[in-house]
Amino acid sequence: MAALPKDMVRTAVAAGMSARAEVAAPAQFKTGDAVLARNINPPGHTRLPRYIRGKRGVVQCNHGGFVFADTRAHGQGDQPHYVYNVRFEARELWGADASPHDAVYIDLWEPYIERAP
Amino acid sequence: MNGIHDLGGMQGFGPIVREDDEPVFHAEWERHVFAVAMLALGGAGIQVDEMRHAIERMPAADYLTTTYYEHWLHACETLLLEKGVITAGELDRRVADLAKTEGV
Repeated sequence: MAALPKDMVRTAVAAGMSARAEVAAPAQFKTGDAVLARNINPPGHTRLPRYIRGKRGVVQCNHGGFVFADTRAHGQGDQPHYVYNVRFEARELWGADASPHDAVYIDLWEPYIERAP
Repeated sequence: MNGIHDLGGMQGFGPIVREDDEPVFHAEWERHVFAVAMLALGGAGIQVDEMRHAIERMPAADYLTTTYYEHWLHACETLLLEKGVITAGELDRRVADLAKTEGV
């Protein structure tokens, strides 16, 4: 990758650089699907938070394809995957004492989730 | 990795203090670190995800006792050394020179 040209710096800082990318494969999940965050503990980079691993959530939408942080962090290329927004109930994450009205919405790449039984 | 950076769900850090009219940078050196990170890492072909992972690899005690832009500076040093853009000797000499002129 070449250095960022001087005349593009202002735009890049103001707007950021898009991480969107085409995914050739069909999406494995759709809105309303119940999923589990995979219980993975990779030694390298991941953006799958520890506190949702193994927890059940519901897909809210498919944001489209994005380059995959887990591979890009280690020089293994973009390997784009779909990113889904998934809702996890507070009680699923924090137990019976959590508010029944609270939930956490997290954007997750497809390899982070599996179909809930 | 299951590092200290993954703080979600941890307790005992106290409330999040929100500043009124928070400035983009709290000190001039932070502005410099931002510029160096953007240009040096970009120029060396280093991805933002590599930078985040370099921050995650900080020793846990260091991570918790340093500020946001100190994390960025640590990542720059780590990655530029690992990629061979600078050498440890060059970095040590530069820090020693600055210590003399800046009086730190």
